[in-house]
Amino acid sequence: MTEPLLDARGIAVSFGGVDALAGVDLTVAATSIVGLVGPNGAGKTTLFGVLSGLLSPRRGRVELAGVDVTGATPQRRARLGLARTFQRLELFDELTVRDHLVVARRIREGRDRTLLRDLAGLGRRPSPGERDAVDALLDLLDLGDVANQPVPLVPLGTGRIVELARALATEPRVVLLDEPTSGLDVHETERVAAALRAARADRGVAFVLVEHDVELVLELCDDVTVLDFGRVIAHGPPAEIRASAEVQAAYLGTASSASTAETPR
Amino acid sequence: MQGYVLAGLVLGSIYAISALGLVLTYSSSRVINFAHGATAYTVAVFFHWLNQVQGWSIPASAAVSLLVFSPLLGLALWGILFRHLTHSPPDVRFLATVGLWVALPAGVQLAFPFSQGQILQSQGFARVPVAIYHLDWLGVSINANQVAVLIGGAVVVVGLSALLRATPVGLATRATVDSPRTAEISGINTTMVSAGSWIVGTALAGLAGILLAPILGLSNGEFTLLLVASFAAAVVGRLTSLPLTFLGAMVIGLIQGIAVDYLPSHGVLSTGFRPSVPFIVMLGCLLLYPGLRRERFEVDRRAGARAREVPPPPPLRGWRAAIGPLAVAVALFSVPLWLSTFWVGVVSQGAALAILFLTFTIVTGEGGMLSLCQATLAGVGALTTASLATHSPIFGWLVPNPFSSATGWPIGLAVLAGALVAVPIGLLVASLSLRLGDVYLALATLAFALLIEQLVFARPEFDNFGAGISLGRPIFLGINFSDPATFFVLLAAIFCVLAVLTVNLRRATTGLVLASMRSSEQAAATIGVRIVRSKLLTFGVSSFIAGLGGALFAITIGRASPDSFEVLIGIVWLAIVASFGTRSVLAALIAGILFAVVPQLFSEHLPTSWAMVPTLLFGLGAIRLAINPRGSLFDIQHSVRVLRLRRARRSPTLEGQAPA
Repeated sequence: MTEPLLDARGIAVSFGGVDALAGVDLTVAATSIVGLVGPNGAGKTTLFGVLSGLLSPRRGRVELAGVDVTGATPQRRARLGLARTFQRLELFDELTVRDHLVVARRIREGRDRTLLRDLAGLGRRPSPGERDAVDALLDLLDLGDVANQPVPLVPLGTGRIVELARALATEPRVVLLDEPTSGLDVHETERVAAALRAARADRGVAFVLVEHDVELVLELCDDVTVLDFGRVIAHGPPAEIRASAEVQAAYLGTASSASTAETPR
Repeated sequence: MQGYVLAGLVLGSIYAISALGLVLTYSSSRVINFAHGATAYTVAVFFHWLNQVQGWSIPASAAVSLLVFSPLLGLALWGILFRHLTHSPPDVRFLATVGLWVALPAGVQLAFPFSQGQILQSQGFARVPVAIYHLDWLGVSINANQVAVLIGGAVVVVGLSALLRATPVGLATRATVDSPRTAEISGINTTMVSAGSWIVGTALAGLAGILLAPILGLSNGEFTLLLVASFAAAVVGRLTSLPLTFLGAMVIGLIQGIAVDYLPSHGVLSTGFRPSVPFIVMLGCLLLYPGLRRERFEVDRRAGARAREVPPPPPLRGWRAAIGPLAVAVALFSVPLWLSTFWVGVVSQGAALAILFLTFTIVTGEGGMLSLCQATLAGVGALTTASLATHSPIFGWLVPNPFSSATGWPIGLAVLAGALVAVPIGLLVASLSLRLGDVYLALATLAFALLIEQLVFARPEFDNFGAGISLGRPIFLGINFSDPATFFVLLAAIFCVLAVLTVNLRRATTGLVLASMRSSEQAAATIGVRIVRSKLLTFGVSSFIAGLGGALFAITIGRASPDSFEVLIGIVWLAIVASFGTRSVLAALIAGILFAVVPQLFSEHLPTSWAMVPTLLFGLGAIRLAINPRGSLFDIQHSVRVLRLRRARRSPTLEGQAPA
């Protein structure tokens, strides 16, 4: 097997006395979709924080394309090809949808370090190929209609697709998606799922998907990891996960796990 | 030695009283009150007025000041301002309280004209002549005012602890501090708790003010020291812990008191050390508490800046977009044609200030950073320029003059050098405090500004007994800029160039990057924005503009004097720029010209007792941001665009416009 694109080993994080993560492993192969599921409080968002560099783990090691990035800043990881979306929208309220993609792309090109050029008034010009690339991405994710709208005006579902588009505009190798369908209705969920399929087919990007919609995860993913109380309780292809008794216990509760079923918060 | 410890305990007690008030109000409403010192000043002046002007007895004046006036003041300020700020974005919270800091003393000095001068011999709780007790067993003498301070400190600490620990009100307050929402849904009236904490907090500020007045004298300027020391103590307590805050206040007071024993009896250090203690303590906390480095208090999403804020209609494009700026430029350059020489001089000051004010447009408007040291950076630029141009020493060191001119460096080069010197100093303070959250940056820059003011600006070679260093006007390219009209045109041209550069920056990649950082630093970081680097760059550019503006302002008024760049003047500048909008270069121009012209108009046409009215208005303008966060200029432009859009919609050719 080739070297994994993203490899996290033995990640442990604690908040005060609570072990949010207690030695979690996660491996993502190139161009695969890995599902990360588990009940509330299982540590999914915390793991994303560690992977993207917004949280530092107490123990463990994160490798991105063979480079140890455990202590690296989010910026450096972004430049190495990691992008993410947020469960709670983190859009740039003053920018239009199009500008989200433009700014992400220009940072990728290193155009955030051209102060003198910008002062001289040359910084407004698009880089060669920028317009086409941004248009292509807008078309791919079906955002053409809202391209010039300021983001506070777009609905939640579209906002999530804008986050996905912004992540893809950095030309990443792996994108972490934090509950891309939470709070969306059936039609919006289908739009997001379509956008994900389109992105994978078109860009060859690997995804890690945190999602409560289990059917969606089992349908989209090549590989699923199940977290509960900060531990990996199951790992394998979707069909195996679907059958696993332990996963059903974690989600639905059984006699044996009833005593611990009270999840924190 | 014992005497110095006593003096330290006294100072520490005053800081503690004030800082506890600050923490109390902050933790119940998430608003840092930059007007806390101004509140203390207000109550102290009121007390002085009752006692000295109205002839009331000391107990009666104290009772009315602390038990009637302060609570009413606190309630009024809470009702009018702070209540609304809890759910505002951090920059609005900051700028509105800065506005109050400007407006409150101005209002006080209007209402009580005797306070316009500095009152050195102020009445405290003890009757004059103040009784002195000799405590032979300790080997110290203590005067009645110091006794009052120590008693006051003890009463406040014991009373506040008892109130918070042992009463239902205290329980409700602690619950609100920990989690306002949970407290709310458990049936606690958080509004009442918040109002109550502002009442108590204001009374504590007032008590600190009355206690401090006999020690420092009653002047608005001296009270910034109280403010900064209280801030430093509150930072020790991470803005939430009352015991740690108390400890911090005592430590700051003791260091300030005891250090007197070890400091030289004259020179800058003898006067400059005391104000630098708060800055050093804040810096120490930054290094010790890694927790401060991340923004702990998120914006309340209930406020929904996202939901409420209507984005502006699209700006004009093509040749129409050039009409507005061209009209402004024509009006600006034609000023010498329709104003007398005297008024051209006044408007020149305004133009120089407008250049300086672009520093706020860059650092706060574009960079989203809350800085209170821009005036100090301007002072650095001005004093460097003046020292080089007149060949006078800087820190006793004479900068070599490689140029043939007899007096010193050619003034154009000196200005450039002044602006460049401001950059590393700005970068230094920014790099020390940038990792802190928004509010901590404001606190650290304030402490830094005060430090420079006391340690550097107070040096005799700069201060020159208050006269500053005189500066001539340049002659280059064969043009003599001593002529007011010519010099004005030069300033206007420099402003226009800088304004264009600023707009270029905003519309370029840098502008997009800064806009993304203002909305979400997390998301910006995950698309690869180097946050610290971008902020430092912005701060550096803003420092350069501050230095340049400061130097040009000094040339305009003919001298570079530290008086022109005091911290308190800096906050008035920030308030007036903010009230027109920190995002617009036109706002900087209007603010600069009004700042120069309005006081001049007042002094010509109105009695001198009205002198504080312009300052009051500037402060009130910034307070208005609480309602209208983007400044009045944005408001006007917005309504014009909406009107245009409506008109356009009536004509059938332009259908499908985005609704405003």
